Amino acid sequence: MTSLSVQNQQPFPIDDIPILSVKEFENSVREELLAQARMIGLFGLETTESATTVVAVLGHSSTSAIHLLGTTFTPANNRYRSFADVDPQTHYFECELAENHQIIPEGHPWLRPVRKQTIILANQPYSMYKMEGEEIHEVAVGPIHAGVIEPGHFRFQCHGELVYHLEIILGYQHRGIEKLLLNASPSQQSIICESITGDTVIGHSMAYALAVEALSNTSVSLRTQVFRSLAEELERIAMHLAGLGGIANDVGYAIGSASYGRLRTLAINSTALLCGSRFGRGFIVPGGLQFDPTDEAIEALKVNLHVVQHDVLVINEVMFGSTSVLGRLDHTGTVEKEWAQSIGMVGPAARASGLDVDTRSQFPYGAYKYIHLPLITLSSCDVFARARMRSLEIDESLRFIFDQLENLPSGSVQSEMNAIRANSGVVSLIEGWRGEIAHCAFTDSKGIWKRYRIKDPSFHNWYGLSLALRSEAISDFPLCNKSFDLSYSGHDL
Amino acid sequence: MIESIQLRIMQGDPIVHDVHHATLPPLFRGMPELHPEKCPDGCKECVNICPTGALQLHPLRIDLGLCVFCPACERSCPEKAIHFTREYHISCSSRNQLIVGGTQSSITPEIASKKIRDYFGKSLKLRQISAGGCNGCELEINATSNVNFDMGRFGIEFVASPRHADGVVITGPLTKTMAQATELCFDAVPAPKVIILVGTCAISGGIFKGSPEIDRTFLGSHSIDLYIPGCPPHPLTFLTGILDWLDRKV
Ligand code: SF4
Ligand code: SF4
Repeated sequence: MTSLSVQNQQPFPIDDIPILSVKEFENSVREELLAQARMIGLFGLETTESATTVVAVLGHSSTSAIHLLGTTFTPANNRYRSFADVDPQTHYFECELAENHQIIPEGHPWLRPVRKQTIILANQPYSMYKMEGEEIHEVAVGPIHAGVIEPGHFRFQCHGELVYHLEIILGYQHRGIEKLLLNASPSQQSIICESITGDTVIGHSMAYALAVEALSNTSVSLRTQVFRSLAEELERIAMHLAGLGGIANDVGYAIGSASYGRLRTLAINSTALLCGSRFGRGFIVPGGLQFDPTDEAIEALKVNLHVVQHDVLVINEVMFGSTSVLGRLDHTGTVEKEWAQSIGMVGPAARASGLDVDTRSQFPYGAYKYIHLPLITLSSCDVFARARMRSLEIDESLRFIFDQLENLPSGSVQSEMNAIRANSGVVSLIEGWRGEIAHCAFTDSKGIWKRYRIKDPSFHNWYGLSLALRSEAISDFPLCNKSFDLSYSGHDL
Repeated sequence: MIESIQLRIMQGDPIVHDVHHATLPPLFRGMPELHPEKCPDGCKECVNICPTGALQLHPLRIDLGLCVFCPACERSCPEKAIHFTREYHISCSSRNQLIVGGTQSSITPEIASKKIRDYFGKSLKLRQISAGGCNGCELEINATSNVNFDMGRFGIEFVASPRHADGVVITGPLTKTMAQATELCFDAVPAPKVIILVGTCAISGGIFKGSPEIDRTFLGSHSIDLYIPGCPPHPLTFLTGILDWLDRKV
């Protein structure tokens, strides 16, 4: 195979990425996909008037290797053979490339917009999928939804209650993050990354910090690494509790919703003990942590988490033992394992469909290099599995945190930063609470970003939600949506 | 049934009863305390590091409408002239009030007009619009209705339809793609109606100020009733801000 092979957060000279002819590129990417690679990125690295260099990033979980390879397109020669008709996981990446660079995947089954709602793709304006037939009707929801939630548009093709197809149109949250990062000062970059999606502040600020540290050859203390993972697991616990509360609410199980809600408050208040912000803002910065947690803070955190650990077991038992709750969760919104695999789903949603995917164990980083978490999977692939998965992950994360708190390493939480290498790149993968976060960063000859590419796990999983709704009652949409709990802003950037 | 009662007992009494006198964690960043007299001549450390241009010198001041409470300035200041206190009463009713200096210890919004208080003083229903909000502000707004903060006890609630609302709560820097929806939603709210901006992004654009993907014309053509600063604002900042503005004694 013709590609550059690197590890997670291993810096490399950009020139080491093989730039192939379009034909060779097509063949090599196809070979990678046949060898079970998962697509992590397909994006323009450099654009001049006469050419666009495109890079594909592919992850091999069995070997922890990340492969990169590229090719060049010109306005006259802007076509390649799509991979998506054989391997649907590349479908959305190809759409994105077409939207941003007018590079057309030939034979793509369904070219559609990613963030721009009015767009001409392959010389055709996009119009949403529409079914026709007697008694077929269409339901349009959004961008503004009923609750306090981010905007997105959902278009259902229904026959009575039954959904045949759900099309999800996003882009309402597009703030131009990737472009803003290019001209931002280091302190601005940290804030922008914390704001990619405000429910995954730790995940994205960690991916960013690790990318910068890798490119500047900066090493951080073990204490820093442990506290970063601790914060990441806290974020996972808090958001999983929030999600379970939402699911309880959507099935009308009020006491469950209130109970999870109370525990979530304890979890996010614990994060605030570490850094002042309930979402972990300001905690992780390149070179370490902005705050070194005090003994009092750690003691208070332990008290909070002991309550969470005790109470969540009781609540789980009651909720997952209740027939009326299970009646709503079981066999609802199923995404079979084969489907999940073929669309490249990630995170707890993928694990609930039986896929072994977890960046922490497959592409270990930070403290997860030394401390291993078990990779749990479930097999029922439905809302129940996604909810149960989140409750199981809460247990594991709590165990991880308590283990770490037993013997916290000492040392400084701030390291001196070195200069960022010129003409280099890095792929930084993190397991956020929704799944794999990827930051691919590339510098120019002065060590300044020339491309900063972000992929939130939602990028893969929104398609999973569409599939979950097939042949489902439209009234179960809120429940299915909550069970995926995806990010609009993380997708839209 | 028994199990549900047990769960209810386990809940205990999680509510923040006195919303005006809660103690937030030591590192929480609310109202800044500034000591301009400590600034050495020519020092610009804080201004240089501030990610959003929220600081002004001569005298030292912070625009809480731009500040993301990061707090790079506090950490970079060699003279310890800047310190963020735990005071969470920082909502206000005019944009200028957000520019703070010296040792003023909190901000209180001016009381709403008699008409607004007569209409909404006892019951205020709000429609939230997220226009590029990162879900930080949205989560904190949701939290105002949970068992800890229970805003419903004051008659303040979020509703699904703008037709049922007395006003809108906007989060996010106002993306271009949400400009039209924001306008339509606000138009659908019956008059009299209020606009509340929540979070740095909504108030000034924050870290996204100047992005070509932002369109803030909506704000230019309407008057704002309440500003709730923070990134994201703490639920208690939101709650106490509205209560003070409606002159509700609790
Ligand atoms: S805390 Fe506010 S004023 Fe200080 S540097 Fe950060 S954004 Fe600027
Ligand atoms: S103010 Fe902060 S938390 Fe609120 S939307 Fe903006 S970035 Fe997110």
